[in-house]
Amino acid sequence: MAEKPVWEQIGTGFVQHYYQQFDTNRMNLADIYTDSSCLTWEGEGFQGKNAIMGKLSSLPFKTIQHSITAQDHQPTPDSCVLSMVVGQLKADEDQVMGFHQMFLLKNIDNKWICSNDVFRLALHNFGQ
Amino acid sequence: MGDRPIWEQIGSSFVQHYYQVFDTDRTQLGAIYTGESCLTWEGQQFQGKAAIVEKLSSLPFTKIAHSITAQDHQPTPDSCILSMVVGQLKADEDPIMGFHQIFLLKNINDAWVCTNDMFRLALHNFG
Repeated sequence: MAEKPVWEQIGTGFVQHYYQQFDTNRMNLADIYTDSSCLTWEGEGFQGKNAIMGKLSSLPFKTIQHSITAQDHQPTPDSCVLSMVVGQLKADEDQVMGFHQMFLLKNIDNKWICSNDVFRLALHNFGQ
Repeated sequence: MGDRPIWEQIGSSFVQHYYQVFDTDRTQLGAIYTGESCLTWEGQQFQGKAAIVEKLSSLPFTKIAHSITAQDHQPTPDSCILSMVVGQLKADEDPIMGFHQIFLLKNINDAWVCTNDMFRLALHNFG
């Protein structure tokens, strides 16, 4: 079996870690962000580790479970790793909902951190 | 009304252009890619402008219409722009489907090109 390209290994490793931490204790996610990281959560922007962790800790659910349907990873021209995740999640007793998230990972001092994070629920306003 | 940040202006413009061209004549999308661009289309990888345009041109529908539900844009540490789009599309007479797409835009010689592009339909396997 051929080895996966390194960006795919890094991306997959990160994605697995992210959702595992998110679903068990999302306050542990602080390590993956820096003061220059940007999060856009359902259209709202948060800049820097503190603001991001403030947002994640304030999300109004007790239990959360993510299920990944698909993930894609690519290397970028500036030696970063770009990851896209499509999946479903269930918060507390709410209905299962689709979500879409992307991460831009950058290697700083031999550690892969998340410089950009964008999350959206897959909700559409049906016109028809 | 305050001015939108520059990355949002560039990202929105790009997204509008991309889907407009895609829906009218997607063979014209070549200009936004370079020889180093990567596309991942439903999990399949394509490298470089020629391979990307070939994939897009070979998609098996005659008509396509994209409708954007939401788009988000961020600046990256390397002065690029990251854009994420959630929307719906209709190909020929098929049912409407949700899709997700992301673009990484880089300024090369004063033109914003797409270096990374990933597309997925919002299809989940219900277990």
